[in-house]
Amino acid sequence: MRETSLDPTERFAMNFVRLIQFVRHVMRMREVELALRFTIGLVAVAIYLMPLFWMISTSLKSQTEIFQTPPVLVPSDPQIDSYRSALGLPTNRPELYITGALYFKNSFIIASSTMLLTLLLAVPAAYALSRFNFHGKTTFMLFLLVSQMLPAVLLVIPLFVLFKMFSLYNTHLSVILADTALALPFAIIILRTSFIQIPEALEEAGLIDGATRLQVLWYIVLPLIKASLVAVGVFSFLTAWGEFVFALSFLAKPELHPISIGVFQFIGMYKTQWDTMMAFSTLVAIPAIVALLFLQRQFISGLTSGSVK
Amino acid sequence: MAFQSTGNNIPTPKASFSREKLTAYLYILPSGLFLLIVLGFPILYSIFMSFQKYTLETLVSRQTEFIWFKNYSDVLKDPAFTNALQHSFVFTIASIFFQFTFGLGLAILFNRAFPLSNIMRGLLLSGWQIPSVVTGTLFLFLFNLDYGLINFVLTSLRLISEPIGWIVQSDTALPAVIIANIWLGIPFNLILLSAGVSGLPEDVYEAATVDGANGLQKLIYITIPLLKSTILAVLMLGFIYTLRVFDLIWIITKGGPGSATEVLPTFAYRLSFINFNFGRSSAVSVIMLLLLLGGAILYLRAITKEERL
Repeated sequence: MRETSLDPTERFAMNFVRLIQFVRHVMRMREVELALRFTIGLVAVAIYLMPLFWMISTSLKSQTEIFQTPPVLVPSDPQIDSYRSALGLPTNRPELYITGALYFKNSFIIASSTMLLTLLLAVPAAYALSRFNFHGKTTFMLFLLVSQMLPAVLLVIPLFVLFKMFSLYNTHLSVILADTALALPFAIIILRTSFIQIPEALEEAGLIDGATRLQVLWYIVLPLIKASLVAVGVFSFLTAWGEFVFALSFLAKPELHPISIGVFQFIGMYKTQWDTMMAFSTLVAIPAIVALLFLQRQFISGLTSGSVK
Repeated sequence: MAFQSTGNNIPTPKASFSREKLTAYLYILPSGLFLLIVLGFPILYSIFMSFQKYTLETLVSRQTEFIWFKNYSDVLKDPAFTNALQHSFVFTIASIFFQFTFGLGLAILFNRAFPLSNIMRGLLLSGWQIPSVVTGTLFLFLFNLDYGLINFVLTSLRLISEPIGWIVQSDTALPAVIIANIWLGIPFNLILLSAGVSGLPEDVYEAATVDGANGLQKLIYITIPLLKSTILAVLMLGFIYTLRVFDLIWIITKGGPGSATEVLPTFAYRLSFINFNFGRSSAVSVIMLLLLLGGAILYLRAITKEERL
């Protein structure tokens, strides 16, 4: 049917009907669209989480269930022997010997020291970058941005030489220093953005009342950015918690090894003990997953303000 | 300093100006010095070493020799280097392509709220901070020839007729580490692209819908052009972070089998810590640094462009 052959009233009526159809179409689309989005989202989440689910599920399986085909999704009779052996506690399988607790202790020492050192260095620097104008400010900011991009492999050889020179080789301090260098630029950038958001007027009042800059920073400003401090602290902790290359290169003594090296050596030694390996991996991953659960918003805003904006 | 403020006096403008500068430098100094030693020194020392004959012998005899670009010409002539460079590019481009595609797709998906969308989005970020040693171990298990989940799924779906030894076979090892790395990189891409997508003006899309544009047209003609600088920034950061990946590959394959997954970072590490040819290893590191610097410059241009908008 050709529209030109219709008279105005008919054409209007037809357009009206089309409009109604279009609106109904759109409304139906909205629901279809939501359902579609929901389904795609569900599938994406299922695929994405599969490795993590598999890790936890395997860690709880019995020896026979691990090697069963078709694979068992959920262990029928969950066991925690794997966790016990990953932590070096007595189990029914004495042939597996891991000093897991020691690895965790070492990692905890390295990660918490890195966290403290990073915060200690980052807070004044970030504060100065947010409040003062001085020569070399832009250069310093640029240096911070670029230094996050350095490959650890490039740093590892010169640092190796440096640490040998100062007899820091085979000490936790060597790894702590190197890990802090990894975490510090990001920490400064993030804290700077937090400081900028605090109105300067608050500090001026304190300064006029005779407080020093340091007092103002400590008693007035820092309590206001507590959330950012926590996020940056946790971020630095996690950077050191999972760090691999520096620990691999600077720590030769087994009693100094952190978890990353522990897991790595475990792969080489007990290739088929998948349940214990997955239990170990789960324990290593837990702090990262928990932190993300609680600090998701801070981490996201930190990442976006630190890299795209 | 000639002028000393007695505490509760309000400093004169001039004095406060110079005092302020001094304070700024004092606050920056610890971080600046630290980064100069732990990041700045290694860069310079790497460059220095790359011009030297620096091997185990010279390390013992302490007689290093300045050989200008000999390390570089040796490296560039070395087929093992070309091989690593090639793998690095394949690894980087393939990883970025899929991470970015999934990231953008998911960012668009979650840009409109639907039932459980926030929870789903949160779950998709859960792997973000997991140490790469865990991811490596996990994928080592998932890709296992006999008991790996991936082989089971693929054979069940009849996509492959018999299990593949993903990691032990030289033609599948690189795809396997790429897949692991894609999984690792999705949260990062999703977060940054989500921030970009959520900032897009709604009315442009409404206008396009009225004009009858479909989803793909909207993506190509609206989303991508409007997000150009964000996309460039994300791609460049992806390039930088992917080119320097070491841990994941070292844990899953150690660059093998043969040299099937050898990339620049693993090649440089091997030259240093296994062949003890520090000079040549530094040359590789410096070449890598130049590539990263190119990426960094493009990235900085992308983000400064965005600020001007």
